[in-house]
Amino acid sequence: MFGYIIKRILIFIPTLIVISIVIFMLSVVAPGDPVEKMLGATPEGDPIPAEAYNAERKKLGMDLPVFYFAMSSKAYPDTLYRIPKKAHRENLTRLINDYGNWPEVDGFYKTAKKLEGAIYDVEKDSVNPGALIKIKQNLSNLFIRYEDKDINKAFDKMLPHIESTPSTATLLPLYKETKTAYNTVKSKATTWKNYVPSFIWYGFNNQYHNWAKNFVRGDFGRSYEDKRPIADKVGDYMYWTMILSLISICLTYIMAVPLGVFSARKKGTKTDGVLTTILFLLYSLPSFWVATLLITFLCQPDYLDWFPPYGLGDIEGKGFFESLGIRAYHLVLPLFCWTYGSLAFLSRQMRGGMLSVLRQDYVRTARAKGLSENKVIWKHAFRNSLLPVITLFANVFPLMISGSIVIELIFTIPGMGRMLIEAIRYPDHPVVFTVVMLSALLTMVGYLVADILYALVDPRITFK
Amino acid sequence: MSAKNKESAQPSENQSLSYWEYVTRQFKKNKRALYSLYAVIFLAFIAVFADFIANEKPIVAKYKGSVSFPVLKGYAVDLGLAQWPTHYQNIDWKKDIEYDFAIFPPIPYLPNNLDFACRFCDPLKDQGIKTRWRHWLGTDDIGRDVMAGMIHGTRIAFMVGIVAMFFACIIGLTLGSLAGFFGDSELKVSRIRLIITFIASFFAFFYAFYVRSYSISDAFSEGAGAVGWQLLVGLFIFFALIALANLLVIPLKKIPALAKKVTIPLDIIVTRLIEVVVSVPSLVLILAVIAVVEPSIFWVMAVIGLVRWTGIARFIRAELLRVRRLEYIEASTALGFSRMRAMFKHAIPNALSPVFITIAFGIASAILVESFLSFLGIGVPPEVITWGKLLNTARSAPAAWWMAVFPGFAIFITVTLFNLIGEGLTDALDPRLKQ
Repeated sequence: MFGYIIKRILIFIPTLIVISIVIFMLSVVAPGDPVEKMLGATPEGDPIPAEAYNAERKKLGMDLPVFYFAMSSKAYPDTLYRIPKKAHRENLTRLINDYGNWPEVDGFYKTAKKLEGAIYDVEKDSVNPGALIKIKQNLSNLFIRYEDKDINKAFDKMLPHIESTPSTATLLPLYKETKTAYNTVKSKATTWKNYVPSFIWYGFNNQYHNWAKNFVRGDFGRSYEDKRPIADKVGDYMYWTMILSLISICLTYIMAVPLGVFSARKKGTKTDGVLTTILFLLYSLPSFWVATLLITFLCQPDYLDWFPPYGLGDIEGKGFFESLGIRAYHLVLPLFCWTYGSLAFLSRQMRGGMLSVLRQDYVRTARAKGLSENKVIWKHAFRNSLLPVITLFANVFPLMISGSIVIELIFTIPGMGRMLIEAIRYPDHPVVFTVVMLSALLTMVGYLVADILYALVDPRITFK
Repeated sequence: MSAKNKESAQPSENQSLSYWEYVTRQFKKNKRALYSLYAVIFLAFIAVFADFIANEKPIVAKYKGSVSFPVLKGYAVDLGLAQWPTHYQNIDWKKDIEYDFAIFPPIPYLPNNLDFACRFCDPLKDQGIKTRWRHWLGTDDIGRDVMAGMIHGTRIAFMVGIVAMFFACIIGLTLGSLAGFFGDSELKVSRIRLIITFIASFFAFFYAFYVRSYSISDAFSEGAGAVGWQLLVGLFIFFALIALANLLVIPLKKIPALAKKVTIPLDIIVTRLIEVVVSVPSLVLILAVIAVVEPSIFWVMAVIGLVRWTGIARFIRAELLRVRRLEYIEASTALGFSRMRAMFKHAIPNALSPVFITIAFGIASAILVESFLSFLGIGVPPEVITWGKLLNTARSAPAAWWMAVFPGFAIFITVTLFNLIGEGLTDALDPRLKQ
């Protein structure tokens, strides 16, 4: 038995690693620059000072290579990740893709950066702010444009403003240097290098490794939105999801098992027909529709005003039982929506399981011996039909997580599902991927527990 | 199911029937499933002819003595074959033109037409407009016709269901049949072929996708067609390079040490892969991918397909593992036919039938996921009207009961119909359950 559990856990680990890599890669390709988002930069807002940017980048560990290794072409440097801004990095890869000569592209980037720094020196004299702004704007285009005509346009537009006043004219040598650097990029193009593959090994000090390490330690990073550690946030939001899931799972099992057995016993009768149809309809009813309907017709003065449409109620300064009452009153509809789907699913499974057991030879034998129908059902058939249903716990679990999304959103309950949707809309990628990772982990633990339970309760299974 | 099973279940009357005739007959016996199929065909009809059922333009119109077909012309304009005269742009087709005669579609609105005079019009109350222009199922907050939205939403729902399952089928059938047919012990290749294919696939990936990564990512801004073409070209280069590299194997195989056979446990590999995918709750996985891509209906379909292939793969794998032990496969091997022939000619056609069940249920769940996503306002661009989006309007305006009832009902009915068809297929394809 022990060996079986160990073996099961050993299978669990590589699966988890693959999932974590997939999720991490998704977070890498997510649009936007994480550093800028963490600093709260907006496209309209003031640019972030380079020192603050670099400091935050270091803090986030974004100055490291992304993964253990990278497959790229000979044209790409193995140090591209050192370029701070994501937008610049992406633009430089475009230039490399077009010209294939990193030293020259790098030279161009560095002189352009020098020009940028020189502008700040001029600014102190503040001779002509208008011209300076124009120069800056066009210069910044050099960092985010890669098409030849766009770059030339930026150069051409910059020139008159540089020449406009004597103090800005001090930029002229650097401007010319930058332009020559760009022309060298074009003239010394080595496009062939793009077609020679290369493989770079970065070692263990990389972003994925650190991310996974921190995740295991319970450090999920910080949220873009409120800069709080995600672990704290998850802790807060997990509370209601857990409570609701537990109540819902209990309710489901308490009702579904007798319903399924009852329906199977009455197989072929009208009662069974009606019950099966109702369960089938419940199973097909999308919970977001049911929730919307309930809010429309039961929660507002135009129709019936029976239940509160959202929230959990205000329990400040109320006694224990009174608060319990308020909470329960607010949770009636969400719990209903949360439960009926899995209830229908489980009852149908229970009915199916019971029916297949009732067909077995040993049930026929039990009947042939003259045992009462009750005894046959409860003593012989029920226990065996229960086995698969216990293990369906694992399937109910992901159902719960997905269910929480819509119910928590519609009834505005502060839970994990709501947090996920809000994070997707914000977009707050660290939170999104943490929730995804956690729900994967929970689901896998669910499957693991189910497998072990199955092995425990079914003596026919040998642990090999 | 195998021929053997069929006969043991219905020994006397079905001797002369072919397998599919038998399945069709079984399916027809199930009235619920049969009527569901008819209803789905009807819905598919609505989806295909949505432009003729709900449109702002007349189907046929006579204007200044000449007869024209504006709806048809709309297609030509969309394809770039024709153009509207400039004074036709931004006009109200119903009021601004004085037709000699005009036949409008039954619902004379497009889902995006704004009717500011009639916001949140109740379908049961007087709307203050002519009966011909009445909004039969009401309007939303900016006066868009709900009925028109529902009719055009049918098209989106069916498209998502079918395309997503198409993707899922391609992946699921390929992986599932490889795993099921070869199992863990039947795929033996020489060492050299394994090594060369492994190395070649790195190079092939490099030239097929890495070098062309910008052509592919640029194609995303051009639309689904361009993306599909770029991916096809990529796949072609990929497989062509691997095939070329495999030519090297022929001379190298002469060295005995390299020619030694190794067994590839394909089944284990595929089963692990399935476990990875099912370990993340599919809705959460879909949401995570949707969170990082541009909103587009194509992505929604692709992502659903990418996540939902596991059911199909599992089914065909289990079925093939069962089928390949049956006598007729053994017989075909004994007669000296090749494995490939046994696989394509005998094993797969026999294992395919349970896949239809998964497809029917899969379409239902794909439609459900798409409406859920658009209900959340995630993944579907703002200009596309879907059932889920219509339903979402009800949340901001609970008084507009029709926004809550009708679109949700459409989702529910369509999902239920596909589920019923799935159940009917299950019963028809598995005679063991029909005792």
